[in-house]
Amino acid sequence: MVYIVNRLLLVVLTLFIISIVTFGITNILPGDVAMMIMGTQSNPEALEGLRESLGLNDPLIVQYGRWIGGVLTGQWGESLLFNEPIAPLISQKMLASGLIVVMTMVMALALAIPLGVWAARHRDRWQDTTSSTAALLGLSLPDFFIGIMLILLFAAYLGWLPSSGFVDPTEDFLGAVRHAFLPSLALALGLMAHLTRMTRSAMIGILNQEFIRVARAKGLPERTVVWHYALPNAIGPVMTVAGLQIGFLFGSIIVIESLFSYTGMGWLTYQALLNRDVPLIQSTVFVIAAVVMLVNLAVDLLYRVIDPRIRLG
Amino acid sequence: MRKFLSTKALIGLALVLLVVGIAVLAPLFIPPERATQMVMTARLQPPSFDFLLGTDQLGRDLFARVMLGAQTSLTIAILAVGMSIVLGLPLGIISGYYGGRVDNVLMRLIDALLSFPILLLALTISAVLGPNLQNTIIAIGVAFTPFLARIVRGEALRIVQMPYVEAARSAGTRDGLMIVRHILPNVMPALIVQATISLAFAVLAEAALSFLGLGTQPPQASWGLMIQASRQFLDLAPWTALVPGTALAITILGLNLLGDVLRDVLDPRAR
Repeated sequence: MVYIVNRLLLVVLTLFIISIVTFGITNILPGDVAMMIMGTQSNPEALEGLRESLGLNDPLIVQYGRWIGGVLTGQWGESLLFNEPIAPLISQKMLASGLIVVMTMVMALALAIPLGVWAARHRDRWQDTTSSTAALLGLSLPDFFIGIMLILLFAAYLGWLPSSGFVDPTEDFLGAVRHAFLPSLALALGLMAHLTRMTRSAMIGILNQEFIRVARAKGLPERTVVWHYALPNAIGPVMTVAGLQIGFLFGSIIVIESLFSYTGMGWLTYQALLNRDVPLIQSTVFVIAAVVMLVNLAVDLLYRVIDPRIRLG
Repeated sequence: MRKFLSTKALIGLALVLLVVGIAVLAPLFIPPERATQMVMTARLQPPSFDFLLGTDQLGRDLFARVMLGAQTSLTIAILAVGMSIVLGLPLGIISGYYGGRVDNVLMRLIDALLSFPILLLALTISAVLGPNLQNTIIAIGVAFTPFLARIVRGEALRIVQMPYVEAARSAGTRDGLMIVRHILPNVMPALIVQATISLAFAVLAEAALSFLGLGTQPPQASWGLMIQASRQFLDLAPWTALVPGTALAITILGLNLLGDVLRDVLDPRAR
């Protein structure tokens, strides 16, 4: 219990630091929001008036206080680029990206676990080398390059899947999955490398243990030994790595969503950055960092629940 | 495994030497005009004797561009990783060596920074500072710093508990000398491994930034920019994407292989 309370206090502290960093980065911008709204050629007096009314002449700490107060009370302001309130915009885009994140994770695990298990069962043989090579290739090809190749193959030549666009999953779920498929596959192929390696090394550790020898000695079929006895014991670290990859994923998603014109959170962040929409940059960057931090926390807590060897202390 | 390891080491080393060689030599042999010269009659040409790797949508020689792109890519990656070492090494050492409250404060800060996806942080910094070569380096360098500091701190924390450090301390060695003589040299193996792997990721990050228009700017030859430009002509001229994509893959694969091998050799925990 003490552990959980401590952990939660730490979450608040981390969120606080994240907010300061986010606010700090966007405030080293040359030029400001007023200049962005009115353009660089605008009348200096009008510009000054707008600055004053937006509170840009206040000390930074006052501006930060106003911003974080707004974030906490749900007043996230309006995007300069889209002329829309930011909060609903972000929640809508989060849903779109959520679909990609889930599909990516499912695909990556579905590819990585069998590949890792296969490599571990045939350690140091050609199967192991094949699996390591595949993992290394996945690690070495930039995901946007994989994405372009997937577009070329599945959209341009074969015409099986759409090459770009987004469909709202609440309106047409199948269409949404079809549009999210190629972006997710591009991300999954990059992501599976770490997961394959992790599965392999975790499985090798488990397969050398006594209880596996006992299971084999009992005459259980190898398939049962591997999938029912060894894998459940090896899955913990794999899941932890998968959870930690969420952060990496939210970075890659910016590139991939832009490539596939998939209008999710990554695309939104990119548009905000490209157009220097400061209020939107602050909100998207803050939300992404907060989500990554919370997912990591959830993975950590979940791991402790699943694995009784790690006590909450 | 040993045989695979040595093959792996050889391939990694060969690929890295190849790319470094190209990065150093290409600018000496290929005049920079060759990469920006547009031949309007030879747009989107497939590979041929005149253009070994074909041409792009503006009739520019892809061979010259991809060769010169190696220098852009490696220069940015090396300087960015160098910058993250300059910033992250002292942070990590101070945190790990002094421990206690200093460590607590620094690590809270680092942990919070680690919540920002590296690419997001780099993109944001680059967008905010204005995309150009120098700011791309700063953006990637700063974005990598928390990660590097974390690794160094872990190593320093481990080394501080070693008997030889205790012995040196009981002999009255001062903090400064202790760090320079005992901590720093022993952090090096982990640092070298991490730097090599970071180089691979920095090449990737530079390509991603340039691909999104927030890194290297045209008309400079950059692999990420070339892939970006190829998107519109993909079904007509797939080689415009394949050429820079392969160059990127070779570079990153080489660095990853080398990083893996270095880890096997240098990392005391993996031994």
